[in-house]
Amino acid sequence: MPEVGAPAEGPRVPVPLPAGQRLALLLIWLVAAVPPALWLVSRSDPDLAVQLVHRGTVWVTRLALGAGAVLALAALLFPPVPAWLRLRWNELRLSLTSDRGPLLRAMGELEHFASAQRHYEVGRLALLRREFSLALPHLQAALEMEPDMAAAHHHLGLAMFRHGQLGVAAAAFARAEELDPGHAFGDALLYLGRCLDLADHHQQAVEVLRKHQARHGGGHRSHYWLGLALLAAGDAHGAADAFAVAAAPPAQKITAEENWFRALARVRRWRGGAS
Amino acid sequence: MKDLLQHADEIPVTLVVALAYATVAILTGSIGLNFADSEKLFAWGSLAPMDAPLQPWRLLSYAFVHANLVHLVFNLSFLLNIGPALERSMGSLKFLALYVVAAIGSGVAVCLLYEVPQPVVGGSGALFGMMGALVAWNMHSGRHLFAFLEFEGPRRLMSMIVANLVIGFLIPFVSNTGHIGGLITGFAVTFLFLTPVRRGIRSRRPWQIAIAALFASLTFACIVPVWRWDWLYEQGLNETGARRQSIERAVARSISGDQLGEQIDPELAHLYYQQVGGLLETLRKRRGG
Repeated sequence: MPEVGAPAEGPRVPVPLPAGQRLALLLIWLVAAVPPALWLVSRSDPDLAVQLVHRGTVWVTRLALGAGAVLALAALLFPPVPAWLRLRWNELRLSLTSDRGPLLRAMGELEHFASAQRHYEVGRLALLRREFSLALPHLQAALEMEPDMAAAHHHLGLAMFRHGQLGVAAAAFARAEELDPGHAFGDALLYLGRCLDLADHHQQAVEVLRKHQARHGGGHRSHYWLGLALLAAGDAHGAADAFAVAAAPPAQKITAEENWFRALARVRRWRGGAS
Repeated sequence: MKDLLQHADEIPVTLVVALAYATVAILTGSIGLNFADSEKLFAWGSLAPMDAPLQPWRLLSYAFVHANLVHLVFNLSFLLNIGPALERSMGSLKFLALYVVAAIGSGVAVCLLYEVPQPVVGGSGALFGMMGALVAWNMHSGRHLFAFLEFEGPRRLMSMIVANLVIGFLIPFVSNTGHIGGLITGFAVTFLFLTPVRRGIRSRRPWQIAIAALFASLTFACIVPVWRWDWLYEQGLNETGARRQSIERAVARSISGDQLGEQIDPELAHLYYQQVGGLLETLRKRRGG
């Protein structure tokens, strides 16, 4: 496995600003010019300066309200917004409807007899509840007692991935996959691919994600991540194909998370697979 | 010079700012549960929009003054919570620059959008600037700007910012205007000036120049608020003739919110001008200025 986290090499190439950014810069300069211009007007006619400010404020407020209304409407029709709301609602519902009981019971059992399996159970439950500071030491303890526990490696990888520790996460996912090929229905392989892609090892990421799809089929998420990796590796056509598969309507009801990645893929398709 | 900067970069700025908070709190008597005396807060640097034109240094000084013990402890704990990590990652001098610019940005927002006589104190604008800086730092470290949202820590940071803003809107005497001003300034200054330059990225120079010009221009607008009755009144004191009449009309228009129509009667404008003078004097006496 390549070293994850090493910076990509290459000369620094200045890239010209796109039209949108130039327009934004122009607007900033126009706003910046207003106070000195008003001061100059005020030096000759203070009353005119106040009138200009009042009329300008009225027009800017009207424009902002109009633009806000249009944006709010557009946002609700923009696929990622409803998908994001569903995702967050799902998380909120889970957090409100699950208690800490199983986790406390698992911790209680650990007091009587500490085993790798029990440490792993505490780590897994804590991770489910997003209690990372509790999950990490237990997953590490499980691995110290039983270094070949694929599930603990996988969960350690998940915890590290969520913390952005891509190098450690990739190593953990790779080890989980090595110990138990196809672990967690291919989740370890899928996340390994994502870690590699995020760490700028795009070609390896493409290989791993393709392997995952060959073995386990592929959902919206895996196709979307494959599309991103292909795009970063310079294969725009392959990326467009992957985004098209990821954006395809599902045959049956999909989870909030899969729906989120489908929404992202739909946006990518609209933009022609561009980054 | 390089050695000097290197030594300066070793000063623990977070600790110095925390000590400054505590020292000023003792000097202003803000160590009780009740709000401190407004005259003392004014003497030590509180900021009201009407003060900025005459005493621009208040745009920074207010960020070291606190209203009472609860205010102080809240901001102090916040500073000591996120300050050290941020200072370690960006260096002391950059951290100091961030604190100062975010505090001024927060003060500028207050001066431009707050009620004229309403004073504000507290370092929370600058602390929001630090949160903005953390967002910028995270955005900068991902492959694309929003890649950081895939990770738990940055997502919690975003939740923390939203929660603090909601709390600010719910508590009546909290200036969320300043918080948002500080947040935006901290974000912009870190994103454009304090994060390291990435390979292959577009040049930041046009953005740096434009944002610096905007910041300077808005600060100028705080010091020279040509649309505001308090500043116009001061300008009119030494004027005579047509210019004085124009200033009187401007003052009348400003304080009435442009409700007097296109043409304002000169006598009515003069009456408004006199009343504004009395109002300003009363406000300054009440606040101890």
